[in-house]
Amino acid sequence: MTSVAAEHYRLLVIEDEVDIRRAVGAALRDQHPAIIEASTGQAGVEAVDTSHPDLVILDLGLPDLDGLEVCERIRAMTAAPIIVLTARHTESDTVALLDAGADDYITKPFSTQELAARVAAQLRRARVPHAEHEVMVADGLSIDVHRRQAIRDGNVIRLTPIEWELLSVLVSDPGRVFTHQQLFAAVWKRAFGDARLYLRVHVTNLRRKIERNPANPRLIITEPGVGYRFISPP
Amino acid sequence: MQHARPNIEQAHAAFVYILIVLGAAASGEQWLGILVAVLGFLAINYFFQPPFDTLTVGGPNDLIALLAFLSTALVANSLLARARTEAERARKHAEEIETLSEEVKHAEALREASRLKDILMASVSHDLRTPLTAIRAIAQDIAADGSGATTRAEIIVGQADRLGKMVADVLDLSRLKAGAFTMNTEVNTAEDLLGATVRQFSGVPDAKRIETIIDYSQPALLGTFDFVQSLRVMTNLVDNALRCSHDAVTISVTQMNGSLSFQVADRGPGVLVTERDRIFDAFYRPVGPAADAGAAGLGLSIARQLAEAQGGSVRYSTRPGGGSIFTFELPAATLEPEESSE
Repeated sequence: MTSVAAEHYRLLVIEDEVDIRRAVGAALRDQHPAIIEASTGQAGVEAVDTSHPDLVILDLGLPDLDGLEVCERIRAMTAAPIIVLTARHTESDTVALLDAGADDYITKPFSTQELAARVAAQLRRARVPHAEHEVMVADGLSIDVHRRQAIRDGNVIRLTPIEWELLSVLVSDPGRVFTHQQLFAAVWKRAFGDARLYLRVHVTNLRRKIERNPANPRLIITEPGVGYRFISPP
Repeated sequence: MQHARPNIEQAHAAFVYILIVLGAAASGEQWLGILVAVLGFLAINYFFQPPFDTLTVGGPNDLIALLAFLSTALVANSLLARARTEAERARKHAEEIETLSEEVKHAEALREASRLKDILMASVSHDLRTPLTAIRAIAQDIAADGSGATTRAEIIVGQADRLGKMVADVLDLSRLKAGAFTMNTEVNTAEDLLGATVRQFSGVPDAKRIETIIDYSQPALLGTFDFVQSLRVMTNLVDNALRCSHDAVTISVTQMNGSLSFQVADRGPGVLVTERDRIFDAFYRPVGPAADAGAAGLGLSIARQLAEAQGGSVRYSTRPGGGSIFTFELPAATLEPEESSE
């Protein structure tokens, strides 16, 4: 987040409503002067090809192409973070886009400060190689993924193998939303029976062990109808 | 017949009689088939078997003829009966298929209608929300400028938020009325819902007044419900409770008798006996001290309908020591202990 680096980022906004495009631009232009706009899915895909943006903001409801298709085509061309603009009652579409490689989503009407924060977080994520976290400290909890050890206030927290898997997948990419399906595939590795049902129970048990207040989680955040993400609170 | 008789082989005559027997059996009446078989035997015996014009059962040939006629009649009869049952079954099948295909057509029509409703609702809500999103974002940008317009722009942001909430409420209510609400019920934990509810209020000054009570000595409580819609119910109840008092709002959860029971308790003025049913009516605003500030009176109505749409309920009760308790009940769930596979 040094101002030097920020200058170099190129953002692409794919959104059919001109006023929302303008508003998004206004909210982000101070930080990121290089903003490219596209009003259709097709134009957006072409802009990715020609301009190589560092981050893409993609509206879910484009008139010409299905959001999922646009997302898949962009993901095939670049590893740049994709933030999806969604609406209420579209959780299943959001999940499909996240499963197709989108990195985050924000629901309309959104706070522009929130959008700017998400953009900053995704750019930061894209810059830091994930594997470099050896020991991560979040909210007083220290997690050593290689030694498989979690410590809070000097006390080692005992986790079950599944809870460890779950935690290590979540902390492997802080800030990223993992859909239920992604977590389930990463932790259980093979698709057997009712594992999906147990995911939420394991998350709840994990929170009881690592959160200061499990009823108000600050580390493992629920994305309603979508999945979970690990954040490192300030 | 007598003249022709020597020229007709007994076997040929038998063929003709067998045809007659078959015909009689084909009528479907078993007794008629047997009767004609016996008559046929007698006729052959009388007319075509020497000594002619007498009835004598002599020798094994006669017995074979009699048995052949009888068994022909019986076999033909049972074949026919079977064919009839098959035909009847086929007819019933055809009828069933027809009924089913009509049902399928009906279900398809319903699905199509609900799909159209979905599309309509989605486009209406998109059209209403788009200008709000733009107004809000641009006003927020002006507010962030730090120029003289800050305060006024902040008012626009606040009002846009309020309008946005009302639009969402009205749309949800019409969705519920139109039956265009699809519930995605799954096994979820009560704690997850409770945590997500508290998080909805993070950043709001009132959040400090929210207290939660969970029994961590017990395994996580489970329920079968739609997480997103139940979160909406909880948010509405907590929002309501925060607005009607300045004291702590307590959220707790228990499980009993197959139900997961979330309680949202406040120390507000309570609800008059005469109003207790009406507070769940759409657009109803209670009179008196609890009169709301800034809500369209849809929160409780939506909460109750969303709860009922997934087999739950929302009820009001008075809180001992003053205040209200809103109880949100959902079907509880149990999971078999997971086989330790790792």
